[in-house]
Amino acid sequence: MTGSYWLLIGVLAGAAFSIRVFGLFAGDSIRKSRHAWMLDDLPGLIIVCLIASSLAGQPMETWIAAAIAFAVAVLTNHVILTMCAGVVTYAGLVWFAL
Amino acid sequence: MKRGAFAVLPLAAGAAVYGFAFGLLASQTGFPWWSVGLMSAAVHAGSSQIVAVEQFGDGTAVMSAALAGAALNLRYIGIVASLSEILRGLSLREKLLAIHITGDENWALTMAERARSPHVGAAFLIGSGLIMLAVWTGSTTLGAVVGSALPDLERFGLGFGFTAAFIAMARGLWRGRPDAMPWFVAFGVTTAAVLLGAPKAYAIVVGALTGLAASSIVRRSRATISQ
Repeated sequence: MTGSYWLLIGVLAGAAFSIRVFGLFAGDSIRKSRHAWMLDDLPGLIIVCLIASSLAGQPMETWIAAAIAFAVAVLTNHVILTMCAGVVTYAGLVWFAL
Repeated sequence: MKRGAFAVLPLAAGAAVYGFAFGLLASQTGFPWWSVGLMSAAVHAGSSQIVAVEQFGDGTAVMSAALAGAALNLRYIGIVASLSEILRGLSLREKLLAIHITGDENWALTMAERARSPHVGAAFLIGSGLIMLAVWTGSTTLGAVVGSALPDLERFGLGFGFTAAFIAMARGLWRGRPDAMPWFVAFGVTTAAVLLGAPKAYAIVVGALTGLAASSIVRRSRATISQ
């Protein structure tokens, strides 16, 4: 394992714990500030951007698998079912194309 | 503490399946099995870990990958702030332990149980949190052990698992129509930025910031209409 793996784990652990400690000491005042809505909005926006960056420029099979995964997510709101549906669809389309 | 530990078991079972899947994906991006366990114990934030590992595996710089993952954890500012009453009376060391082992599942369970019975407090939170941390660490490690013994699963479509996981997470974070416009803008701007050749990490930042701007406009217009 190279230093970059250690760095990722270290920075992520440090950031995750710092956010929790920040919440412990300053959470109440942050929640009452006029910018509190950003804390609520940012997680969803980042996830949407991650989906967009994963799909941009990808072949049709990826978009179809994403559409199937999206439909399963809407219907079930279940992470594992959505992952299974997406992976199986993607694998099926890629193998079928071969 | 025992009551919280037993009450959270059904939720822990669900997290174990999710953790196993994450461990499998992480090992396929090059993480040794023991480092996946170490990460789970030290970070204890599923969605953050998935985002960081996916970005890292995608070739994004370490700091960008870690910050993208950490940004997902911002909701914990509010979650931990809501525990102030429950944590009152604990020593600083106990408080730090409690907030580290607090996750979405045991926090929601503790708040729900406390709403029914005011006697539910820090012991319930810590008991349920210890079980969640143990199950999360164990299941992700097991997934990584199995994943490292398997051949490259990318050609079987496993790499798409991250995208599918993000789609499922988005469904969980959807709060209704006010999210539609900012999410649409964020999706469009990120897609355009990637297609124009911007590195993915920067495209995500630009997309999220544009989405925040759109959200601000939506909130202002809703406030104006309701006045």
